[in-house]
Amino acid sequence: MAARRDEEKRAQDAKEEDASLPPETTEDLRPFPMNRHFRSQPVLSEQLREAIYNRVAKDGATVALASVEFGVSNERVGAVVRLKQLEKEWVAQGKTMALPYSKAVLNMLPQTPYIDPSLPENRGKRPIPHESINDLIVHPATRQQLFVPVAESRQFTRVDAGKAFQNDLLPADDRIPHPELVQAERELAAGLSHEERLRLAEKRFAAIQEKKKAEEAQIQAELASLKTVPKRRWDFVFQDVSVEHAGKDGRGLKGVGWRYGFPHEDRKKGQVKIPTKIEA
Amino acid sequence: MRKPHRYHSLKKLKIRQDWSRWSLYSIAKLQRPNLGRTYFQQKWDAKAASRAYHGEVIREKKWKRLFKRSIPAVVPMDHKYLARHDGSEQAAGRGAGADRNEEQKDPQMTPYMQMTYWPIERRLDTAIFRSLFASSVRQARQFVVHGMVKVNGKKVPYPGYLLNPGDMFQVEPEAVMFATGAPKTRSAVARRISAEKKAARGETRTNEPKDQEPSIAELAAKEKRAEPTHTELKTSMQEIMTNVDEVLTTELKAKDKQKFREFRLSVKKAIAKWKAASPETLSTLDAQFSFLKEQLAAKTGTAAPSGDAEPLFSEEDQAKLKKAFDKLKEKAEYDAQWNKRDANKPYLTPWRPRDYMSAFAFIPRYLEVNQNICAAVYLRHPVARPGLAEVPTPFSYETGQLAFNWYLRRR
Repeated sequence: MAARRDEEKRAQDAKEEDASLPPETTEDLRPFPMNRHFRSQPVLSEQLREAIYNRVAKDGATVALASVEFGVSNERVGAVVRLKQLEKEWVAQGKTMALPYSKAVLNMLPQTPYIDPSLPENRGKRPIPHESINDLIVHPATRQQLFVPVAESRQFTRVDAGKAFQNDLLPADDRIPHPELVQAERELAAGLSHEERLRLAEKRFAAIQEKKKAEEAQIQAELASLKTVPKRRWDFVFQDVSVEHAGKDGRGLKGVGWRYGFPHEDRKKGQVKIPTKIEA
Repeated sequence: MRKPHRYHSLKKLKIRQDWSRWSLYSIAKLQRPNLGRTYFQQKWDAKAASRAYHGEVIREKKWKRLFKRSIPAVVPMDHKYLARHDGSEQAAGRGAGADRNEEQKDPQMTPYMQMTYWPIERRLDTAIFRSLFASSVRQARQFVVHGMVKVNGKKVPYPGYLLNPGDMFQVEPEAVMFATGAPKTRSAVARRISAEKKAARGETRTNEPKDQEPSIAELAAKEKRAEPTHTELKTSMQEIMTNVDEVLTTELKAKDKQKFREFRLSVKKAIAKWKAASPETLSTLDAQFSFLKEQLAAKTGTAAPSGDAEPLFSEEDQAKLKKAFDKLKEKAEYDAQWNKRDANKPYLTPWRPRDYMSAFAFIPRYLEVNQNICAAVYLRHPVARPGLAEVPTPFSYETGQLAFNWYLRRR
């Protein structure tokens, strides 16, 4: 990954011929000489961002697909699309952008270049992956070492290992961001034909779409249950609540309003008023 | 919190979260912790040094409550391996005496201890500093307090707001340009010199006889000077020179470059002897340059005067040079529109990055930044992965370890 990026960089430099500086080494990419565990890692180049945006917003590819294609993690694909969308809005509104700043900063940072497959010189080249897309989060339950006696004759798999740590802990295959890749690879290893694999993939895709649709419908139903009264400056939104939500002791979390014997603490010293969540 | 006295002391070096030359010096001078003293002393020093950098604006008590002993980490997985093995292969044959495979390389160590201060990276002011929108955390904090920062489109005046994964924050581009651009005010010495010069100029102007009518001889001389003066010649030649220089920096083939270099050399010589320069030399140089340009502008082989002059460039080269010139033109237009001189701006115009910025320029992977609109998304919490910790900290692993142990409160 890094080697190919360097190669690309060298080719770029060779084009510019009298680039006076040699390409940076790993030592140069370490902003703190004492800390060997921190590196200045490449950022997405402008062209790559544009390509990701086009793939998702224009071609309608799913985030997961774009993530696999460009070697960029799911969250990053989403963020790039969101930011690009905002940028386009700014351009449409004619707002002043920080272009000199952007140019200067991107010149200072290592970048992951975009390999444009439409160009003749890039035929047969694969895109340079930006980061590892299948990062498994270390679950707190797996932090401790376990000694589980197992019969020699037993096939002790990842599923069993997960259960040994915690009853509901899923195996790594299901916890990584791209379980569909594992599934596809498994089918390939099982020796299924191309048509068969295609059919299975379509089936999975349909199931995902169905699930998404159901989620969307639920959100819409929740919104429909709210009663909105538009006013000049603010909209009043009414939500149905029940007195029973306060519970037997009057301290239930869902209960609303002031309740007898339950003091408000928001004026007390040391109460933090900084929001913990801001809706997008 | 108020800025402490002797923020950057040269006697007791402290690394601060800013882009100053003092920080750069302190980072260069940083050494491994001295392990020859009591454990308590070591921990104390590690804590003191690292807290001067991480969350220096936060009170100690607040940080203590923010500290978490669980550190987020990830392990990159190979989907091909996961698909072809179910995990039982790791223990296969162990009971029958099979030892572990020696060819298998041990995975790299996960530097958990460099992640002690990860909760601070969640703070809004720190995230703004990390996305290179402010030159120090204190400045980022000021931007937030002054209402220049939006989170998910809403103004948030709290520098201590802890970002959640997926939060987008925007900073006013003007504020960012101010924070990262070269400052407008010059040093005291430069200001004094310019003031002296100005005063001297004023004196000479007042000394000049003002209302004298120009003599006939002078007028005659002026009449004669329809041709450019030497100074004018020099400036115009310098202009040509910079043009050529700019063309040379863009991508060109070696042969074209040679030609341009020769041309540049001749211009250089002419400038060196500018006192002796006559309008003819300029016109010839200008003619040369415009000829080159014409050659480029000519659309591949149609308008090129093939009869009288030898073809300087091949068609391919022409296209390339044309592209170079177009690029040049585009850049000039871009500068004229986006980076022009403007006295009303609070930073130096045309904008350029401030000194020492490039030494501090890195963007950690937990942020995705769009520099054009000065907005960024906090993707996830910083994580440790084999061989790499995402919290940017200038200290060595031992210091991180000692600081972490200090905050475990078992000292």
